[in-house]
Amino acid sequence: MRPGEYRALVVFAALAALPFVPGMSRYYLLLAFDALLFGTIAMSLDLLMGYTGLVSFGHAAFYGLGAYATAVLLERGYTSLPLCLAFSIVVVGLYAAVVAYFATARRGIYFALLTLIFAEVIYTIFRYTQTFGGSDGIQGLPDAHFWPGVPIETAMQKYYLVLGYLVFAYVVCRVLVASHFGRVLVAIRENEERARFLGYDVQRYKMVVCVISALLTGLAGAIYPMRSAFATPDLMVWTESGEFIISVMIGGIGTLVGPIIGGAFFTILRDKVSSYVDWYFIVIGLVLIFIVLVMPKGLLGIRRLFRRTVEA
Amino acid sequence: MSGGGESRGATGSPGRPERGGGWGAMSGPPILEIDRVGKDFGALAALTDVTIGVASGEIFSVIGPNGAGKSTLFNVIAGLHVPTRGRVVFHGTDITGLAPERINRRGLAKTFQITNIFPEISVWENVAVAVQSRQPESGRLASLWRRSPVDAKVHDLLEPFGLLGRREELAENLSHGEQRYLEICLALATEPRLLMLDEPTAGMTPGETKEATTLIRQIVKARGLTLLLIEHDMSVVMGISDRVAVLHFGEKIAEGPPDVVRADPNVIEAYLGGAED
Repeated sequence: MRPGEYRALVVFAALAALPFVPGMSRYYLLLAFDALLFGTIAMSLDLLMGYTGLVSFGHAAFYGLGAYATAVLLERGYTSLPLCLAFSIVVVGLYAAVVAYFATARRGIYFALLTLIFAEVIYTIFRYTQTFGGSDGIQGLPDAHFWPGVPIETAMQKYYLVLGYLVFAYVVCRVLVASHFGRVLVAIRENEERARFLGYDVQRYKMVVCVISALLTGLAGAIYPMRSAFATPDLMVWTESGEFIISVMIGGIGTLVGPIIGGAFFTILRDKVSSYVDWYFIVIGLVLIFIVLVMPKGLLGIRRLFRRTVEA
Repeated sequence: MSGGGESRGATGSPGRPERGGGWGAMSGPPILEIDRVGKDFGALAALTDVTIGVASGEIFSVIGPNGAGKSTLFNVIAGLHVPTRGRVVFHGTDITGLAPERINRRGLAKTFQITNIFPEISVWENVAVAVQSRQPESGRLASLWRRSPVDAKVHDLLEPFGLLGRREELAENLSHGEQRYLEICLALATEPRLLMLDEPTAGMTPGETKEATTLIRQIVKARGLTLLLIEHDMSVVMGISDRVAVLHFGEKIAEGPPDVVRADPNVIEAYLGGAED
């Protein structure tokens, strides 16, 4: 086991112990749920941003579609967790394949714009037609079940569900970036043209990583209604995609762990500040500007600064 | 020439086979045939009716003053540009207009005139990603979780160029000369049959140039490669080339063994007419 994997194990063990911290309330456990879910999504986006050099402004659509996939099933009384996850893989996978096919045909800002436009189309359909409840979305959903007879009802169960998913997604991302495929992604980020002249079909690699990133985000979306009991079009609004990007940036791009921390930090910061003031986004904005200016490598960069002082 | 030569002499020049503008004297079967290739950029004709045949195993150089169309020719062969006219045949297959990655997979690798590497990853990772392009996992589903065993090959590529000691360095931190070598490593890593080097010694001192030229020749011979070389500095190619073609304003004005080409009045005119390099 390499040092990095060992550290990750310690962190996950600490997270697993979190519900047993004295004074841990339902409120904080659900906040932890949101933080880890947001972190997982930011990590999935980091596959594109940090490793492949692609910025997606449309991840909210993958997230929202996954949530609606679960919501539609729960609403009709199909409460099996595996079924909900499988259905969202199909729904998000099909949509992601279409987006990836068209968006990866263009580079840079055009890729970002195409992902945004696709996502806005999906948002508009869900928001302005009544098929899936319009602006109210789908509310009042029943609890999902791990398997028949075992509902996911307590905050602790929900927390462990998202923690389990985070660990799964982390392992998937780690294996992927260390693989043959991951090496090509980095080469594409570094110099797309050169990668083509080494015989790599760059667009194909981009399409595959887009779909993987979208599926990981969509599965996170599929879990969300199991905690909130609703799915609304607000999950798909483009500012949500922006918050994913910000989380990757403040956590530390291209590190996988950094975006988890960034996503969790962002969620907790938003929750804490918004409980005091309405104009919470101004406060968050100032904090983010500070982080980007002072720590260009993100929150994870603190670790490097610390290590340098220790070595010196 | 016997009786047949006379009848042939009536249609073409006697003695030498004359196909599509003349292959010159080729030693082996052609590995690359550039057949009446033209490339226009808007109103500018960058290449006009260029025909060149490269024999398997030879070192062939394309020379010419700056702006003669040498890099354009390379980019047409390697798939970056689609030619306006003519075709490119590699190993008997028409590769005109194929994408760069498809052409590379057929065994044709090129370097770039302006250094084109992966700047912010290590020297080792640069070559590793190039080597794994030819590993069995490449393009397969298993490549998503498996890592190709490339270490031995990366080692063997870096060693002759003296880059082993710099393996952990980021590519962008290498000296200019080292980056030129790394660029050749990347091309060699894809196990080409035809290697195309675009001014590999650009920006090197005369001493470095001599050393680099010798090294390139050694490696090409050891690996049994065909080498197509672009240079604007005539002195570099004269020592190592089997044959030379001269481009001037997008047209081929001479072709043949180095000493013959050097004495060609058109070539002297082309080089002296512009600024002497």
